[in-house]
Amino acid sequence: MNDKLNRQVLQKHLAQLPATHPERRAAILPMMQALQIERGYLDDAAVEEVAHFTGLSTTEVEELATFYSLIYRRPVGRHVLRVCDSVCCSLRGADQLLVVAEKYSGVPLGKVTPDGAFSVLPSICLGLCDQAPAALVDGEAVGPLDEAALQALLQRLQVEG
Amino acid sequence: MEAVLTRHLDPNAPLGLQAYRAAGGYRSLDAAFDRKPEEIIEIVEAANLRGRGGAGFPCGLKWRLRGADAPHPRYLICNLDESEPGTFKDRYLLYGGPHQIIEAAIVSAYALQAEQVVIFVRGEYAKGGNGLKCAIEEAERAGLVGSNIRGSGFSLQIKVHLSSGRYICGEETAMTNAIEGRRPNPRPKIPRQSVKGLWDQPTTSNNVETLVNVPHILLNGANWFRDVGVNGGCGPKLFCVSGMVQRPGLFELPCGTPARELIFEHAGGLAEGHALLGFIPGGASTAFLLPKHLDVPMDFDPVAKAGSRLGTGSIIVLDDTTCPVQATLNLTRFFARESCGFCTPCRDGMPYLAQILTAIAAGEGQAEDLALLEELCGIITSHSFCAFAPGGVEPLVSSLQCFREHYESHIATGRCPFDAANKSGA
Repeated sequence: MNDKLNRQVLQKHLAQLPATHPERRAAILPMMQALQIERGYLDDAAVEEVAHFTGLSTTEVEELATFYSLIYRRPVGRHVLRVCDSVCCSLRGADQLLVVAEKYSGVPLGKVTPDGAFSVLPSICLGLCDQAPAALVDGEAVGPLDEAALQALLQRLQVEG
Repeated sequence: MEAVLTRHLDPNAPLGLQAYRAAGGYRSLDAAFDRKPEEIIEIVEAANLRGRGGAGFPCGLKWRLRGADAPHPRYLICNLDESEPGTFKDRYLLYGGPHQIIEAAIVSAYALQAEQVVIFVRGEYAKGGNGLKCAIEEAERAGLVGSNIRGSGFSLQIKVHLSSGRYICGEETAMTNAIEGRRPNPRPKIPRQSVKGLWDQPTTSNNVETLVNVPHILLNGANWFRDVGVNGGCGPKLFCVSGMVQRPGLFELPCGTPARELIFEHAGGLAEGHALLGFIPGGASTAFLLPKHLDVPMDFDPVAKAGSRLGTGSIIVLDDTTCPVQATLNLTRFFARESCGFCTPCRDGMPYLAQILTAIAAGEGQAEDLALLEELCGIITSHSFCAFAPGGVEPLVSSLQCFREHYESHIATGRCPFDAANKSGA
């Protein structure tokens, strides 16, 4: 874990906040994002660190950490597959894709596979309706997906480890 | 029409600063700095540029109402939190041409005499947001952003706020809270954001598509912009078409282009042998329209007259293989899940609607459920705190009218007819 480097990133962000808005709490989301990149998810120690840095209570940090869908308060796999389940993707087969993904991973949606390789999370519209049914794999857009393509994708993630 | 907003867009290889300038980019800065800020607002008003983010509020009027004497510092928030199901136009703008957004931000901020622009990018578009940050740095190095831009005396900072999900962040007051590091619940409408917005300072929020029109209006004039539209619409419009069409995609066409042309010409129509059941014209929070509405011009007033909203200009197509009850359930679940939870009618009401719809879709609905749904929609709309829930029930209210017989048949037969059809067809 590279806490020192991470703090430098955070410090840099804080230093960039202009004098017109001096409130430290404004750094809360970038801080959570940076710590999550570092640790994979926001663990309790990270919540405390954010609270210390922003001057907020851990409850206040928790309030935001649990609000944002891209901030994870529980461990996720080394790869994260976010499958869109909103209307355009659903019309074109997303519901079935989620069934297939859950079956393939052998754990309920949102849980990490036993080998730690990936987590499959249902997501709201990803803005990929022209590629429906679509997903984000570690932030990269994929679509349109069918069952075979999805299984191949999950297999690849597993092999990559 | 000749492409305007998408002319230099390439999501695979967005133009860098040099190439963008070679293609005529940043020319509107001269056109802006040669004018007084209020003249620009007048031109934008004359062009009748209406907000592209969903509400359709006249951009020039919004800018004028902020007031020329508003105290400093002033903020301009560029809304790139696109999360409305069916909508992906802002993604193309972000990934395809970050410098176009920066140019738009500069001239718009100049018109408003705002010293800082915050571009609010949804977390799912993080890669696009990083591209935008790099483009801003490029523009800063070239003296296009920063102090005393090109000797105009105008100084500007542009920041990117990368968000981390949740639909409600796109609501302008929730967005303000998000940027300040607070829970993104919407704020009361009074005091207005234009008076007391970000950091309690005068703040103007515009959708990114609205803003990228401004440089073109400055360069070509208000009359040009009005002439680009058809059937009474003004300007170019980025239309999204998705759902059960052959070629889902983004199409830049004159505002006012009829839905029929969009669906059947540009998006390739429906699959062979299938018929149109209905469509949503403006993203998930707008009311369904029927095949009889295909010739309605996709412009703010005509779509409103037909009983829906142009919204984000994003058409979602349902064909005759689609169960409208299921589709409506999906939309309602979306809003139930994305409610910020601040007010009770929305937090509890939306899941209640979803629960009733789930039962109907599964063939377990009761005859009285339809009246209950309608009553709940009325209560939720009139008692919720912000525009989220009223928008959230719009597709449901219209679905109950447009597709009544489908709901009744689910309840009467105790099953979804589309399930049987799909299974026998499989």
